[in-house]
Amino acid sequence: MSQHQVVGRARPPRQEPLSLPLRLVAPVRSRARRAPFVVVVLTVLTCGLVGLIVMSTVLQAQSFEISQLQQDTAQLQTQQQQLDREVERLQAPAHVARQALLLGMVPNANPAFLRLADGAVVGKPAPAEPRSNVRRVDP
Amino acid sequence: MTSRLSTGTGHGHRVAARRLRVCLGLAIVVFLVFGVRLFWIQGLDAQAYASMSKQAGQSTTTIPAPRGEILDRNGKALASSVDAMTLTADPSMTSTDAPRIARILLKHLGKDRIDYFDVIDKLRTPKSRFVYLVKQVPAWTATKAVKAVRKAGLTGVFTQQETMRTYPGGKLAANLVGYVDGSGKGVQGIERQYDSLLRGTDGSATYEVSPTGQRIPMADSTVKEMVPGTDVETTIDRDLQWYADQRLADAVRSSSSDWGLAVTMDVRTGQIVQMSQAPTFDAEEKSTLRDYNTVSRFAQTVYEPGSVLKTVTMAALADQGKITPETRLVVPGRVMIDKFPIGDYWQHGTIHLTAAGVIAKSSNLGTIVAAQQLSDGTMHSYLRKFGFGSLSGVQLPGESRGILTPAKQWTKANHATISFGQGISVTALQVVRAVGAIANNGVMVDPSVVDEYVDADGKRTSPEATSTRRVVSAKAAKMVTRMMEAVTADDGTAPAAQIPGYRVAGKTGTAWRVNPVTGRYVRGQNTVSFIGFAPADKPRFVTYVVLDKPFANAGGGSTAAPVFHDVMSMALERFGVAPTGSRSPKVPQQW
Repeated sequence: MSQHQVVGRARPPRQEPLSLPLRLVAPVRSRARRAPFVVVVLTVLTCGLVGLIVMSTVLQAQSFEISQLQQDTAQLQTQQQQLDREVERLQAPAHVARQALLLGMVPNANPAFLRLADGAVVGKPAPAEPRSNVRRVDP
Repeated sequence: MTSRLSTGTGHGHRVAARRLRVCLGLAIVVFLVFGVRLFWIQGLDAQAYASMSKQAGQSTTTIPAPRGEILDRNGKALASSVDAMTLTADPSMTSTDAPRIARILLKHLGKDRIDYFDVIDKLRTPKSRFVYLVKQVPAWTATKAVKAVRKAGLTGVFTQQETMRTYPGGKLAANLVGYVDGSGKGVQGIERQYDSLLRGTDGSATYEVSPTGQRIPMADSTVKEMVPGTDVETTIDRDLQWYADQRLADAVRSSSSDWGLAVTMDVRTGQIVQMSQAPTFDAEEKSTLRDYNTVSRFAQTVYEPGSVLKTVTMAALADQGKITPETRLVVPGRVMIDKFPIGDYWQHGTIHLTAAGVIAKSSNLGTIVAAQQLSDGTMHSYLRKFGFGSLSGVQLPGESRGILTPAKQWTKANHATISFGQGISVTALQVVRAVGAIANNGVMVDPSVVDEYVDADGKRTSPEATSTRRVVSAKAAKMVTRMMEAVTADDGTAPAAQIPGYRVAGKTGTAWRVNPVTGRYVRGQNTVSFIGFAPADKPRFVTYVVLDKPFANAGGGSTAAPVFHDVMSMALERFGVAPTGSRSPKVPQQW
């Protein structure tokens, strides 16, 4: 309460003359020492700044790494596509058939089945004679 | 502060107040300048600056949606898409080293893709900073070529990304699959019919980038996801298709026909398991695409079917209860209808044939005699019921309805000739559907070529079920089947269609060819065909083979039936359809 009164007195109304009997108040002596506070503040600042720099550098480096990896991915995808296409080409009926014909194989146009239940042959099997149906393979 | 003010003199106070005012004035002026500039930028030039900042700090890329694949019934690709590139150049950078660059590109791209001198001309285009060198190069080839150019210390060649359609099977089912144009839009076949499904939706990505083009981490970015195209799984069996393609191409060559087609349908489901055409095309060789090889003969070409249509006439008669396979008919050697002489393909006097004999020997006159029992209206309505004059429902582009004139306009001659398949124009799919109905106990099923749609998540959806309807009684269908079995007997017109162990029903066809320009028949030019189904006692597949304009004395039984035999045998084998073990009933052909 007494402090309030002091502050009230320090701001006198304008009408009163300036030469009031004022005296300097002795500066407040802080018991806390300054050094540790400064050290703490500086440490926090330094850590923050260094952290910021490190983080931004890492992020930048990662961004470069990402674009490098993306390039690699694109290249590998391209390569995979090429290989897929090659496999598809080799698996295409025309290619398989050409290889088979070169080996002397003949497509079978005589359907006959072996019934597993009793081992009976269903249909009339006949040997597939060379040049009997498909004679050549168009690309 | 309080203490300084209180201790200062009156003069000092005035100086301070003046300084304060000056400072305030200066601050106001400065803020005013800022304010005016701010208004200038935000209010007057806002749009220009916004777009400038966007351009400088953002980069937008389109993420192209990959086009869906077209697959066969086992999921093997008939058409798929790969990354491709367009090579471009800046002639202001390339003109001095044009020959060296052209040589490197030629080495990596090959002569098929580029012409050496043409590329040099493009690289030296005067007063230009941008030219297209070559489009639609597979990404791996283009990347290699551009790397080689850079490695040689040359600059000025760039790439643009795009996608390219490839057809791993080459000519396999080409007329059914179709092809796409330069912009990736389907122009024929399934590529066209299902274009909106296959296409998908392109996405886009916008990033903030540094002046050197690096994407700024953690900065704003907006990504609009692309939706990949849906795969279309067809009902085609790739291996059977290949076999039929080869077998048909061989027959077209050896009979020197203009064109040929072979199509096989599952009679119970209407699924087309094979659809071959010769001559055909390879969609990857764009320069070979012509109207005559890209047209879809099954659905777009109309022709007169000839004797194959006798099966439909007999089915109508049997359904009306007017005929059985044993019905006795007196067949004259020749008839004149509307001053128009009609004979059989072999010379004979008056003969006594059963209805089965008429089909087995393919007698035009016997068919006319039998068909006299049907009025114009009844016969026309049966032809309509069997689907002639209407679309086959197959869902392929540019399908024709064929030509079936209204019954009211029929002359006596029309009634007579239409009964054996002249004076009516059809598509191959209409014939397959009609005879398929006879095979399927009188129930007609619309043909279909697409089995399922498979979206990017692997979710499968089926297209609308094809429509089915009864056109003749099961009894009538069975009777016609018995007549058709006589065709493939040893004394029929097509013993070549026999498949040992199986019962095969069939019918040959030899139709006069119509000159499309004059609209008249051309003497000596025929369309020969064979349609059949097996096993006759439990039908599974119907196969139709047509050869147009073969050498003069080629017939359906001798030219088309062997192709039918091979294709049908392969279909039965691949789908594991075992013979039923029953024997064909012996039906008398004469009396």
